[in-house]
Amino acid sequence: MNQNFEPKIIAFLCNWCSYAALDLAGTSRMKYPPNFLVVRVMCSGRVDPQFVLEAFRRGADGVLVAGCHPGDCHYIEGNIKTLRRMTLLKRMLEEFGIEKERFRLEWISAAEADKFVKVANEMFEQIKALGPLKLKEVNTHE
Amino acid sequence: MGEEPRIGVYVCHCGLNIAGTVNVKEVVEYAKSLPNVVEARDYVFMCSAPGQDIIKEGIKKHNLNRVVVAACSPTMHEHTFRSALAEAGLNPYLLEIANIREQCSWVHSDKEAATAKAKILVRMAVAKVSLLEPLEDIKFKVNKNIMIIGGGVAGLSAARDLAAKGFNVYLIEKKPVIGGNAARLGRLAHTELELKGIDVVKELSKHVVNNPNIHVYVNTELVSVDGSVGDFKIRLIKNPRYVNEKCNLCGECAKVCPVEVPNEYEFGLTKRKAIYLPYKEAYPPLYVIDPESCTRCLECVKVCPTNAINLNQKPEEIELRAGAIMVAAGHEPYEPPIGEFGYGLSNRVITLFQLERMLDVEGPTNGELKINGTQPKNIVFIMCVGSLNTTPNAYPYCSRMCCASTIKNALIIKDKYPEANIYILHKDIRTYGRIDEQLYIKAGEKLIRFARYGEAPNVIVSPNGSINVRFFEETVQEEISIPADLVVLSVGMKPPKDIDKVRTIIKVGCGPEGFLREAHLKLRPVEAATDGVYLAGTVTGPKNITESIESGSAAASKALSLLTKEEVKVEPIVAVVNEEICSGCAICIGMCPYGAIRLKVQENVRVAEVDPALCKSCGTCVAACPSGAMQQYSFKDKQLKNQVAAAFIG
Ligand code: FES
Repeated sequence: MNQNFEPKIIAFLCNWCSYAALDLAGTSRMKYPPNFLVVRVMCSGRVDPQFVLEAFRRGADGVLVAGCHPGDCHYIEGNIKTLRRMTLLKRMLEEFGIEKERFRLEWISAAEADKFVKVANEMFEQIKALGPLKLKEVNTHE
Repeated sequence: MGEEPRIGVYVCHCGLNIAGTVNVKEVVEYAKSLPNVVEARDYVFMCSAPGQDIIKEGIKKHNLNRVVVAACSPTMHEHTFRSALAEAGLNPYLLEIANIREQCSWVHSDKEAATAKAKILVRMAVAKVSLLEPLEDIKFKVNKNIMIIGGGVAGLSAARDLAAKGFNVYLIEKKPVIGGNAARLGRLAHTELELKGIDVVKELSKHVVNNPNIHVYVNTELVSVDGSVGDFKIRLIKNPRYVNEKCNLCGECAKVCPVEVPNEYEFGLTKRKAIYLPYKEAYPPLYVIDPESCTRCLECVKVCPTNAINLNQKPEEIELRAGAIMVAAGHEPYEPPIGEFGYGLSNRVITLFQLERMLDVEGPTNGELKINGTQPKNIVFIMCVGSLNTTPNAYPYCSRMCCASTIKNALIIKDKYPEANIYILHKDIRTYGRIDEQLYIKAGEKLIRFARYGEAPNVIVSPNGSINVRFFEETVQEEISIPADLVVLSVGMKPPKDIDKVRTIIKVGCGPEGFLREAHLKLRPVEAATDGVYLAGTVTGPKNITESIESGSAAASKALSLLTKEEVKVEPIVAVVNEEICSGCAICIGMCPYGAIRLKVQENVRVAEVDPALCKSCGTCVAACPSGAMQQYSFKDKQLKNQVAAAFIG
């Protein structure tokens, strides 16, 4: 395993809960690795599974989709739709040989900065252990 | 669009908040190298007036058509910078914020790594902004009416305040009478004048009944709500009362009615008939028939001297329009299941509310505390029944009003029956705030005994009717057993029964316990996250009467700031259909929780159409669209994918 390997993670966060939680982690000066790049959407329900594939295709070593807890979605139940879509996507990713540790769906409320940091750190550790994502065939397609 | 993007990038130091960790100059130099970036500058506080001037000058001087601000979270200053763009004559939606404070400088300590990340975040923002399109705010005319759901003290105080400002209020109450839970409370604490719950209700109702601005609908339930902030289209159903305004309250009907059921207004302590007057001071002052228990024997119809009874009355549908909605649907007292703390096993085990009724001179015992004809000597109160996870059925939260209310009732008993021995078994005494603590001190002076339990006390009702309360006292660490003549359960509050129905119609979130959720617990405590919806009283969680009235007034003043506007503006980041590729599959329709999408037929083909007035901008339909025809402004597929790609390229 390459000790210097720093995984790059793309996080799709809903505006109302998870994005706010990550802001709170900032306000609380918590620490997590820098290679964690956020794409803000209004609701986790906006996250098209294609975006996740796109992130992997472009070179992400891990992808996180996070939204409000079930029942707390700002748009009533966008996150429930996300859950359905991402459950299917997870299976597909495994078929593609993308290890399950590389993709996570989490419910993180605006107050759960600590949970967010825990999830981020866990992902980094696990993906670091896995090494960079290799998607040769797909990548050469470009 | 068409025009080549000309982007300005403005990087904020935020004093040392950003500049202490991120090498701002390096980020600026890097930004200049990005495609289509015409100007990049930094400033110590970009949100300050001189900072905004830098952006405005840049827009004019370089003829910019896109702006990226790398600064704090968009929740802080997106609004500020949008206004700056507008003032410089640029469409405010051609802005993207790179969050390099909360999500970069504050969470990373390594300067080099933080600077590298800030560059990527700027690159991602540039990638997204270059594909953004100018948008126009969606504007609605504001309907000046408001509907308030719930005629308890919170709803009444809100109605009073709104009507006083000249706005039309539709006050909807599910029960046949307004007043809510407070109407059934006895003497209230801290009121020298022996003010009772019903007196507070009467005082508030005075402003409400016969007020030309307030339209009271009792026996009425919500059916549906369409539309959105500024213009809600509401459908209601008014259930029949079977008794009309000709009722002169003579009471002959109830005398002949053969049906008897427990009287809910006396918490089951007495019985009432199927035709009844909820209570003496009830508003509207009319008898009502409870259709669930009425056997349609028609005896009442025969004796009514004014012909006020009509058993053939039908439910009536009502349609209303309102610019705002307030939910003040209240709570329900926790009802212990049979056997919990001996409840239901003996008439010597009662709830706090039953006690309130008994101590009320107009209550079923005329204010006499007597069980089976004798006055109980040993009285044990058990607090936190239904609250603080005391039993497996209990809720996890503190019900807030029961500590003060319990002690208040104990003091009333002690005043009236000085020889009574009163024990209050508690987990914790929470007589919070400016005046409630006085009750606790006074109770100590009057030798009311307090004991603390950890595990729920055991109420043992023996076959001969005697009762023993056993518990482990936490302070003295001893098992204690008290023979009791009366056990009073200080029950807490729980969310009202039908609240789930109401909240799904209005689309307001709730917490795990079922109370409705505020838009922000601290900053927006009387607003729902849904625009134009306000929350008052115990529907968001336990409150006492004062707090409920306060929140009713607070919600009213929040609603006023909407109702006094002529127009509301909504962020135009709504869904939009590309009709050329839409196949009319209708998958999006099932996704939309707001009913904002419909199919229309155009030149013989079916295509989806979004009503921007109903769309709330979640984007769920977009993610579901199989052809990519459905998009969301400012969050289009190509915009987001470009942002993702920019995380890696370079
Ligand atoms: S708004 Fe957070 S998941 Fe829908």
